[in-house]
Amino acid sequence: MEEFFNRYKKELTWLFYAIATALVLLFLREQLADKKASRIVQTLISGILVGGIYGLVALGIVVINKASGVFNFAHGWMMVVGGMIFWSFFAVAEISVPGAALLSTATMFMVMTAVSVRSLLEPRNLLIAAGGVLALTILMTVGGIELKWLHAIVGAFAGAILIGLVVERFTIRPLIGQPIFTAVLMTLAIAEVLHGVTQIAWGTVELNLPIFVNPETNRRFSVIRLDGLKDMLGGVTIIRVELVIAFVLAIVAFVGFIAFFRYTSVGLAMRATSEDQQLAQSVGLRVRVILAITWAVAAILASIAGVLQGGAVGLSLNISFVALRVFPAVLLGGLESIGGAFIGGIIIGIVEQFGTFLNSSQQVGTDLAPYVVLMLVLVVRPDGLFGEKRIERI
Amino acid sequence: MANIHPAGVFDTTYEEDMSVDRTARDKLWKNLAFVALLVVPLLSVSGPLGLGLISDQYVGLIARIAIFVIAVQGLNILVGYTGQISLGHAAFMAIGAYGSAILARELGFTFWTALPVSALLTGVIGLFFGLPSLRVKGFYLAMATLAAQFIIPWVLRYPLEDLTGGTRPLNVPAPLIGPFGSYADDLIDDTTPLVFQAGDPYLVDVISLELTKVDGAHPVIELHNPGGDIVPAGDFNMTVFRDAGGKITGFSYIATKPGEYAITATVEDGAAFRARARRGKALSFATETAMYYIIVPLSVLLMFLARNIARTRTGRAFISVRDNDLAAELLGINVFGYKLRAFFLSAVYAGIAGCLLAYERNSLALDMFRLDISIEMLAMLIIGGAGYPLGALFGVTFIRVLQEAAIPALRPRLLEILPELFPFIEVVNITSAINPVLFGGALIVFLVLEPRGIAHRWEVLKVAWKIRPYAY
Repeated sequence: MEEFFNRYKKELTWLFYAIATALVLLFLREQLADKKASRIVQTLISGILVGGIYGLVALGIVVINKASGVFNFAHGWMMVVGGMIFWSFFAVAEISVPGAALLSTATMFMVMTAVSVRSLLEPRNLLIAAGGVLALTILMTVGGIELKWLHAIVGAFAGAILIGLVVERFTIRPLIGQPIFTAVLMTLAIAEVLHGVTQIAWGTVELNLPIFVNPETNRRFSVIRLDGLKDMLGGVTIIRVELVIAFVLAIVAFVGFIAFFRYTSVGLAMRATSEDQQLAQSVGLRVRVILAITWAVAAILASIAGVLQGGAVGLSLNISFVALRVFPAVLLGGLESIGGAFIGGIIIGIVEQFGTFLNSSQQVGTDLAPYVVLMLVLVVRPDGLFGEKRIERI
Repeated sequence: MANIHPAGVFDTTYEEDMSVDRTARDKLWKNLAFVALLVVPLLSVSGPLGLGLISDQYVGLIARIAIFVIAVQGLNILVGYTGQISLGHAAFMAIGAYGSAILARELGFTFWTALPVSALLTGVIGLFFGLPSLRVKGFYLAMATLAAQFIIPWVLRYPLEDLTGGTRPLNVPAPLIGPFGSYADDLIDDTTPLVFQAGDPYLVDVISLELTKVDGAHPVIELHNPGGDIVPAGDFNMTVFRDAGGKITGFSYIATKPGEYAITATVEDGAAFRARARRGKALSFATETAMYYIIVPLSVLLMFLARNIARTRTGRAFISVRDNDLAAELLGINVFGYKLRAFFLSAVYAGIAGCLLAYERNSLALDMFRLDISIEMLAMLIIGGAGYPLGALFGVTFIRVLQEAAIPALRPRLLEILPELFPFIEVVNITSAINPVLFGGALIVFLVLEPRGIAHRWEVLKVAWKIRPYAY
């Protein structure tokens, strides 16, 4: 028996997967039997659209994990803070110049001292810093309401970089050499602090972030109706335009960051560092600076995701829960895989939408289904679909 | 931690090396501290002696600290000794709390039987969520327990809504010892009100009524309290018994307010009934002072048990799994088995803490067991010192005192200063957000400056005191 089991282990595993998939399909078939085909297609499409943003969130978590081996539980709150900063520049009519100057100064300070505080002693660096502060402040405040997109994007980028660098410098960097457990706790502590700070600064009320509006009428877009497929599917399929735009932007950001990792020297250095820190150091890369850049990049990713999510479903503290739903996506795709993050995000998006579709009264989609997937992934395939198998040495 | 003894005390046997109290002085201090803890409520304002030396607030504070010490001590077994992360501890507390409340409300369990049963139930569910530890560890395991933190409250909220009340608060009866016999036993079969004197905060009367025979329509039976109001079925001192068809067959009520109680019955024409009303004296733990005497000794006992586990074979196996699980396996330790044992023990502790929390508050809400609370408990453990027997005590005390003493002192100042510095901040938002900032900040400070926690400092201090006046 045992010999048989060991000999056909691979085949048996695949048989198990096949049976499980068949069972899930049978269950779904029964559940979906009385539903209209149009509604099923609609759920599938909105699942993919929602999943695009999830993929972007997952990318941020994967980037940090690849570079420094820290799983960032604070990513959701970084999303919230990023979205809120964007809102502050976008929806507030009068931008206060001292506030913008303060933000630019803090950001430039953190950027210029990434190597060491002493680098500020050099006159040349001081000059660069002053120029940077001036340029950022002007970009954030120049013109009136018609330039709000520029203000908001520059402000959100500056804010995200500031948050990423501050988090890395003051909380993650002192932990180098500590066990992984400490780092996990640290990100939880950061999440709590960001939670409190966001709540103090922006409150718990849902804010209106009108970024996905029709520029002509200044209203929300009307939905897309797939009338052409009406006969085939037995009903009209409706797709929300906000979700489509958010999805496209998420894809653009995703592709942009992949290009950044592949073609820029900083991106290459980040990938080299994530492969082997000591080797990277030995060829002359500054590992500390690269880790700082990684956190800044992740914070920017979080901000983009926060803005897109906030624009699509409304900006409030609740969008931090998105990151909790993305954790299963990260594990499903594999902790080290950038492509896996995207696919995991899409799968979780589809699972969530179908959960809501099948049982909308009990919040199965958002509160239960992703975590059941998480448990299954952990038990069946802990390394995820595309993750590296870990080999341990004593 | 090597055992450092005062000059002249040497360990010559294994028993001496392993002993909890090596010298008589150690033992004396511990016993004195325990007695002092037990005396606290006697000196409080609402205590039985009515001395008023200590404010009631502190009695409640110590009781809440003791409850969380139990929960965090459970976490300590899992995290501190065995090295597994759990982000779902609050959910396990929820099982203990709701389990004991439902056992008492629906099945008529007393507190004394509901406590062990719900603790075991929590342990079994903890085992289930410990299963992924077979294949994963580190923060993968944190993920599995995070799943528990979401799945368990969901199950309590939706599928079990009939039992738990969903998002609405759930009332929990107070623990009793007794009733000792029944000193009154009246048979009722008409609508004349049954009137009697009852009630005392500590030695309460338990009024119960049981329908023995019903002809025709069910009678409507009501209990009137000393104010003359009808006691509602949802009152937490009221337990209603129903038959299989959902019809009320009787109730049991704990009369805590002194005064005149009355049972009235309204019967439809042509219907008749026969009922037996009973009254008995019982020792009640409805007051905070009385609850204190359940919570604090239990907490001390469980602390002591956890301390003892660390000295046994099991405890040493836990520690070896934490330090290096591969090496532990090579030594012949069943790593998975010990991980599961740690999960079970930890969940049992959480279940006991949850059960005590339910009976101390007399009211339960799912909001009491959010993810934040799990993180808060982890923070308490790290601040106190993971892997130290006293870590839970230090951590919980530190955080609770910070929350209940420091925050109220700081709040007025913050409310003044913050809006002045940042005019866009609204005052309403500050009050509720201070808590996460403060203990998130405390956790960051401890992780950076003293990752081994307060207990480590305490050990260092103790050694320095014992070997004084020499430096080493």
